[in-house]
Amino acid sequence: MSHAPLVSACAAVLRRDLTLAWRRRGDIVMPVLYALIVITLFPFALGPEDALLQRIAGGAVLVTMLLAMLLALDAMFRSDIEDGSLEQLILSPQPLALMLGMKILAHWITTALPLIVIAPLLAGMLHLPTAVMPVLVYALLLSTPLLSLLGAVLVALTAGTRRSGMLLALMLLPLCVPVVIFAAGAVAAAQQGLPWLAPIAWLGAALVMALVLAPLACAAALRIALDA
Amino acid sequence: MTAPDAVAPPLLEARALSFYRQDEPVFGPLDFSLHEGEVALVEGDNGSGKTTLLRILAGLLHIDEGTLTWRGKPWRREEHLGDTLFLGHHLGLKADLTARENLVVAAGLYGTRDGRSVDNVLADIGLAGYEDEPTRRLSAGQKKRAALAGLLLLPATLWLLDEPYANLDRIGIDMVNRLLEQHAAEGGAALVTSHGAVSFLHGEPKRVRMHV
Repeated sequence: MSHAPLVSACAAVLRRDLTLAWRRRGDIVMPVLYALIVITLFPFALGPEDALLQRIAGGAVLVTMLLAMLLALDAMFRSDIEDGSLEQLILSPQPLALMLGMKILAHWITTALPLIVIAPLLAGMLHLPTAVMPVLVYALLLSTPLLSLLGAVLVALTAGTRRSGMLLALMLLPLCVPVVIFAAGAVAAAQQGLPWLAPIAWLGAALVMALVLAPLACAAALRIALDA
Repeated sequence: MTAPDAVAPPLLEARALSFYRQDEPVFGPLDFSLHEGEVALVEGDNGSGKTTLLRILAGLLHIDEGTLTWRGKPWRREEHLGDTLFLGHHLGLKADLTARENLVVAAGLYGTRDGRSVDNVLADIGLAGYEDEPTRRLSAGQKKRAALAGLLLLPATLWLLDEPYANLDRIGIDMVNRLLEQHAAEGGAALVTSHGAVSFLHGEPKRVRMHV
């Protein structure tokens, strides 16, 4: 009659969420298709001028990724609240913040990772030089988990409200400003042949802080949401 | 020195327990005690606060007034997480996972009772042959059974069951009673809600009446 060890609990939550995402593979493809279509619209709207597209490529890809992630964000805890599995998670003898961290990780793997994989393709469509691609990928690898973590806190805060999708976007987008500035700054610097490590390091620092604090904030917010 | 059973404090004791929602009293003051080996029936009309009481005891809601003691000591939510199982209106099953996968996740979080495994628990509960069917495709009664299987699998002293008889056929109702009797015989305790006067429990169970 002993409680489950922490490692097996983390693995159980991570595996459950990844299995659920795999059973609904169609939902994983949606943000990817969305990003593809949005990027395709830019040359139509601005004209197929290489120099112009090249200049906006980094920023356009970053903002598109951000909006694509926003699409899938509000589903992060919704089904768990509706079917009662969040209650069971809160009542389990495990640290809630860590369990929610696993859920956020699973969400990042299923929504952000496919977007990062196609990012070089999208940037290539806008003629971003090949030499800058690694910097774009680094920037995305650091900024997308940051957005997942920030978004998770807001999703947890709006968990009690109905139709929270629009509210969530309005709350998250201002928080994204620094993330976009540093990520786009790194790509722009690399494009001009300037050192790009500093903005990437800032993103890394912000990510470490969010990794520690965001799951704790999520746990507190969800406890309050269920106590109402 | 003294006979241990003569002085054993109740597993759970509530004194003058009250709960308010936006200054409106939901129930209380309520006094009751529950010993190991006891099954108590929480009775009350719709809206009398039965579910609220169970959610408080599970640790999902905070207490507004009154005291709760657990084995004689003040009740603290963190201390008995995992020692209490709560089965509410929402069963906590993932519709896209099979009954077996749902149980494996629960066992990963809560641990497993000695001598029990996912497969023998599913057979005991009458879901043999449906283990690998997504929960979405099970009937309401079968979903209930899949959730009840968790009670057999996970280690816990106190069961808080909100309307466990709902959606079950006669065989299912007998099975819930058998689970409760077995749990009580093993030294566990349970609080079971049921509206109206109908109780399917054998004998004369302890009753906790909710006043409005």
